[in-house]
Amino acid sequence: MEEMVMGTLDLITASPHSSSSSSSSPTTDNNNNNNHPSSSSSISTRRTDLSTDLRLGLSLSPSHYSTPSSREQRSSFDWPPVKSTLRCTLVEKSQISHFVKVYMEGIPIGRKLNLLAHHNYHALVKALANMFRTTILCPNSHQLPLISGNNVHVLTYEDQEGDWMMVGDVPWEMFLTSVKKLKITRADRC
Amino acid sequence: MECCNKRRMMKESPESNFMNRRGSSCFPDEVLERVIGMLKSRKDRSSVSLVCKEWYNAERWSRRNVFIGNCYSVSPEILTRRFPNIRSVTLKGKPRFSDFNLVPANWGADIHFWLVVFAEKYPFLEELRLKRMTVTDESLKFLARSFPNFKAISLQNCDGFSTDGLAAIAADCKNLTELDIQENVIDDKNDNWLTCFPESFTSLEVLNFSILHNDVNFDALEKLVTRCKSLKTLKLNKSITLEQLQRLLFRAPQLCELGTGSFSQELTTQQYTELEGAFSNCKNLNTLSGLWVVTPQYLPVLYPACANLTFLNFSYAPLDSDDIAKLLVHCANIRRLWVVDTIEDKGLEAVGTHCPLLEELRVFPADPFAEGDARGVTDSGFIAVSQGCRNLHYVLYFCRHMTNAAVATVVQNCPDFTHFRLCIMNPGQPDYRTSEPMDEAFGAVVKTCSKLQRLAISGLLTDLTFEYIGKYAKNLETLSVAFAGSSDWGMQCVLEGCPKLRKLEIRDCPFGNAALLSGLEKYESMRSLWMSDCKVTMNGCRLLAKEMPRLNVEVIKEDGSDDSQAERVYVYRSVAGPRRDAPPFVLTL
Repeated sequence: MEEMVMGTLDLITASPHSSSSSSSSPTTDNNNNNNHPSSSSSISTRRTDLSTDLRLGLSLSPSHYSTPSSREQRSSFDWPPVKSTLRCTLVEKSQISHFVKVYMEGIPIGRKLNLLAHHNYHALVKALANMFRTTILCPNSHQLPLISGNNVHVLTYEDQEGDWMMVGDVPWEMFLTSVKKLKITRADRC
Repeated sequence: MECCNKRRMMKESPESNFMNRRGSSCFPDEVLERVIGMLKSRKDRSSVSLVCKEWYNAERWSRRNVFIGNCYSVSPEILTRRFPNIRSVTLKGKPRFSDFNLVPANWGADIHFWLVVFAEKYPFLEELRLKRMTVTDESLKFLARSFPNFKAISLQNCDGFSTDGLAAIAADCKNLTELDIQENVIDDKNDNWLTCFPESFTSLEVLNFSILHNDVNFDALEKLVTRCKSLKTLKLNKSITLEQLQRLLFRAPQLCELGTGSFSQELTTQQYTELEGAFSNCKNLNTLSGLWVVTPQYLPVLYPACANLTFLNFSYAPLDSDDIAKLLVHCANIRRLWVVDTIEDKGLEAVGTHCPLLEELRVFPADPFAEGDARGVTDSGFIAVSQGCRNLHYVLYFCRHMTNAAVATVVQNCPDFTHFRLCIMNPGQPDYRTSEPMDEAFGAVVKTCSKLQRLAISGLLTDLTFEYIGKYAKNLETLSVAFAGSSDWGMQCVLEGCPKLRKLEIRDCPFGNAALLSGLEKYESMRSLWMSDCKVTMNGCRLLAKEMPRLNVEVIKEDGSDDSQAERVYVYRSVAGPRRDAPPFVLTL
């Protein structure tokens, strides 16, 4: 219900990313409409599929390969061997949107934000600070809040394992695939 | 020559100049040094230094460049003791698989201590080229103030620094000619580092900041480009619009290498014409890259500049087959082409048709994890290129499946491959027509391509592939293996059969201790060995370390893993002994 109400506001805040992307990439058209908002879960499905392939496809000698579970625990960024700078740029283009829910502490109705409209943490924090009209401390920043109390926040996110983490510790590309939801919490609470 | 006099004072036998009883050198040292000083090739210099003591000394005093393929194989102290007059240093750090996140953060390869030693021993250092090293802002600031003659810095796949470090370089390196930042993990603080180049600074020849995410100060950039008349290479980031690009090209028509910014602004007819004019004015362009976010309708502005292009890097521009075909018609001189697989087989046919001089092709996957009806390139595109481009000697090809027959045809057409890197993205994927392993494909490669130096294999592979490699790949130096092989025998074949092997990197293969230990005699003649997710145990590694004390045998331990298994093993020769800076998760055995 909340999502329908916020639908019109999404149109205002969503960046016009789709108009500028090339029409050439074959993967943009079909997949995206169906995939949002859970593109991150489809990535984890793919991760599992990779392990499944490894279990099934190598039916000649399955026992020769290390157990899939330890590989699943690790990030799925290690195969195929494409450098992360290249990978994130291209995947970025083939998936125009990756909307996640954003809640601010104390406000029951959330918003939705397209993470792929931003290239880095700095841009994300800036967009959210605008959206919610508050000050959000940048990750790893050394700024001391000038105003204490209820107008300074930090950004946290829920990852694939259900844990709430501080935004900014892992590389941006890695963050994109592990984030499920965002929450803006008061700085003095963290 | 001051350095000659210094050395003569240190000489041991005064009569070794002319009356050399050992008969090795009848030239005065000054002449010898002058002659040997002309040698540029590292291999030649290495050979020369082994002839006799005089030649060893002449070589070490005349050496100006040094290349260190593994920063832990030697220490800065040993390096500076042997080579007193170095002006240019190239250093590589982490194992290559760190590009694919197989090496944890904070593993090492920090440049700082090297710089501290260089500041003392090589105060006239001019060039530093680093690959896969950790470089902090503090190090960059230290560098900027420690070397007054510093000219060129190139950082590839490095991490740990921010634009603050770049600002320090810009501000303090008065003689800078090259600032080349490629594919690094960099904290872009968007703080106008470009404005730190002083107004009086005009020496820049190479500027590459394509990997930065944020906007740069365009005004500062334009002024910089205008006053640096020798600028030859300019690689912009995606914040630069087409309109801004046109202004920069107008200022620097002498450019040889250009990396564009975004290629998708909405242009008026006039702006379009001006941009086209700017490109046709660039008579010296031989390299083109960038094209972040490309609007295909604007590609024709490039056509006037395409005739002289030899290197086209479209690895960030997913074009379709029609767009690439229309462009390549104008690119008859292309030698190196990097593209995304969105061009599909039809695009590769266009490559085969229009680019007969092609020597190197790299095809990257747009969406490695696409499900269902995923397209990309296949065996027929590969064959099409090989038919049209008979000079092809370097290929990197990502595809979803391949056939043995296709690879055999490709190498029949192009037998001069030196680098053959085929990545079939589904691990353990057999020949999709015959369902057989891909052994015969790589067999054909090693049998036909006698000059092969580098090979990367993939698909469903048994030990037979490795038998072929060991038997035929006599010039092979680098081998990358993933999800392949049936038993220890496979790895053994390669270790015993490839005399020039220097780098072996293996992941997810059923090779265990017997395989690891079969290379006992071999590893000291190699740069390094990497094995991850194989069947090697800690005991196997300990045995190797015990038998070969001049090797560093390191195991990277993951949390919560089985204590007896050695999931990630890195073995390399070193004259510097075990690492002194290893983090807790790296165990040196």
